[in-house]
Amino acid sequence: MKKMVIGGIILIVALMAGTYFVAGDAFQSDDYINTLTMIGALAIIAITIFTVLKYVNQIKNDTASGELVDENWDGIGEYTNAIPSGWGIIFIGTIIWMFWYFFVGYPTNQFSQIGQYNEEVLENNAKFKSVWENPTDETLKAMGESVFLVQCAPCHGVDAEGINGKAQNLTHRMSKEQVLSVIQNGQQKLGYPMGAMPPMMAQGADAEAIATYIAGGMKGEAPVAFAACASCHGADGKGMNGMSPNIAEYDEKLVTKVLEHGKKGVIGTMPSFKGRLNPTQEKAVASFLTSIKAGE
Amino acid sequence: MFHWLEQKPFFFAVVLFLTVAFAGFVTIVPDFAKQSQPTVGTKPYTVLELAGRQVYIKDSCNACHSQLIRPFKSETDRYGMYSLSGEYAYDRPFLWGSKRAGPDLMRVGNYRTTDWHENHMMNPSDVVPGTVMPKYPHQFTNMADLATAYANANTQKELFGVPYDTDGMPKLGSWAEAEAQAKEDAKLIASDMKNQSVKDAVANGQVPEIVALIAYLNSLK
Ligand code: HEC
Ligand code: HEC
Ligand code: HEC
Repeated sequence: MKKMVIGGIILIVALMAGTYFVAGDAFQSDDYINTLTMIGALAIIAITIFTVLKYVNQIKNDTASGELVDENWDGIGEYTNAIPSGWGIIFIGTIIWMFWYFFVGYPTNQFSQIGQYNEEVLENNAKFKSVWENPTDETLKAMGESVFLVQCAPCHGVDAEGINGKAQNLTHRMSKEQVLSVIQNGQQKLGYPMGAMPPMMAQGADAEAIATYIAGGMKGEAPVAFAACASCHGADGKGMNGMSPNIAEYDEKLVTKVLEHGKKGVIGTMPSFKGRLNPTQEKAVASFLTSIKAGE
Repeated sequence: MFHWLEQKPFFFAVVLFLTVAFAGFVTIVPDFAKQSQPTVGTKPYTVLELAGRQVYIKDSCNACHSQLIRPFKSETDRYGMYSLSGEYAYDRPFLWGSKRAGPDLMRVGNYRTTDWHENHMMNPSDVVPGTVMPKYPHQFTNMADLATAYANANTQKELFGVPYDTDGMPKLGSWAEAEAQAKEDAKLIASDMKNQSVKDAVANGQVPEIVALIAYLNSLK
């Protein structure tokens, strides 16, 4: 018996020394997790060896005694001993734990994918807010460009020129064909305070002249007939401070209106982006779009 | 106390199985039944959309495209709201997909339009340079199979109780009614398209596959 205990102690010391030799530098690091793991490992070694010693001892010395149950299985019998009190306590403990887990533990602590997602979104929004607290023109433009490349480029093209007429060419305000169609059909899509644009405000050669003038970037002398348009769009075409669309150039108001309402015109249909971009991103796309001009 | 039970191993195994199975049953089934209810606003597909769905399956779009948005910020930024199980209530078969060579299409109807699909399906690299998505020009000449789509819808209605012909849900009616309705729907789609031969076919009461497919893609919201 003594020999075994001594052997056990020697084994413990040897294993501990070995562990220290292999992973001892974990104690030197200031991360307490490593130290904790090491101490845990040592404890496991010690407990294992003492337990093994105890039971080996018991197997050697114990004799079976007690009352046998009636039946046996191929000669293997069973005593009617009471279960060890430790087991009994653990068994009752698990029943109590079951009730706690069923009524409190699971309902209040269960993992939720959606909960995790919501946390991720909150965290992200907070980060977004702090990073973009005071965006400069430069950072806004950069952000706008990256939003544009992801969300708008599949239709407007990476160069924003509209992929050969498949969507609006955003380096140029409007084409003659587009203006003519709006003059002829009117338009009510963008939700400007002024409401609808009435159809047939100009006809024939007047309409042609106006369309050429607007498509050309409103440079030089305005055709006389443009007076019919100026009452709503302003003499400079800039939309009278957001009452109607700016037809001279892209501005933030127009971009946000298009993003909110989408648009259907002669070229095709642009989907609404309502709820898909946040206000900072919309502003960023607008500042990117107003900064690009043909040929640049 | 339980010697009588321990002596009957087969019976014991059966009782044990039933006990565990019952526990599984009461934890899984009620939740499952609740989750598989259609979400508010989910509607069965119209006949035209179902015909498009069959084109989608036939041309193996689901080999490259998933229809399942996972609850991650990066995905909801790109595709919109994450998917709920009730949104698939009328999908037979579902088209979740398991590979994303291309983007998810669960809500593509929110951010792509008829004219874009028309350009893209004819030749994807016209609009997205460098894409690996194949061209599908045959969809502009092949005709969609409305009869099978109607049979599909009618079977779902009769067999699975899909609520066609009820308040606020798509009308199915008889085959003649359904066919006429599908052709009406096709005209709406074609009016936003540019391809003249497709427009002519629709005006003549035919429905090219591309029209049905676009109706289906536009319905994905
Ligand atoms: C009664 C006021 C009014 C008059 C007059 C008017 N417009 Fe407009 N116009 C509007 C409004 C409002 C809109 C925005 C319509 C919408 O919501 O889609 C608009 C939109 C437009 C658009 C489309 C802009 C875009 O981004 O889609 C063009 C082009 C245009 N007008 C040109 C003209 C021309 C050319 C004339 C003169 C012949 C003219 N308008 C006269 C009120 C007017
Ligand atoms: C599904 C394709 C598609 C996507 C995606 C798209 N657009 Fe468009 N967009 C169009 C089409 C088509 C038009 C032309 C509509 C017309 O007038 O016929 C257009 C027109 C516009 C116009 C001009 C509106 C006017 O009144 O003159 C602006 C500005 C614009 N888009 C901005 C954007 C921005 C910014 C994004 C990205 C956030 C975007 N678009 C994404 C298809 C798209
Ligand atoms: C070989 C794989 C492959 C197959 C098969 C395929 N696609 Fe695609 N798809 C892609 C890739 C890659 C993209 C991204 C680039 C692009 O827009 O072309 C894409 C993009 C798309 C988009 C645009 C989605 C977005 O968010 O920009 C739609 C819509 C689409 N595919 C529909 C279809 C349909 C319908 C079919 C079946 C007729 C199909 N695809 C078959 C690979 C594939």
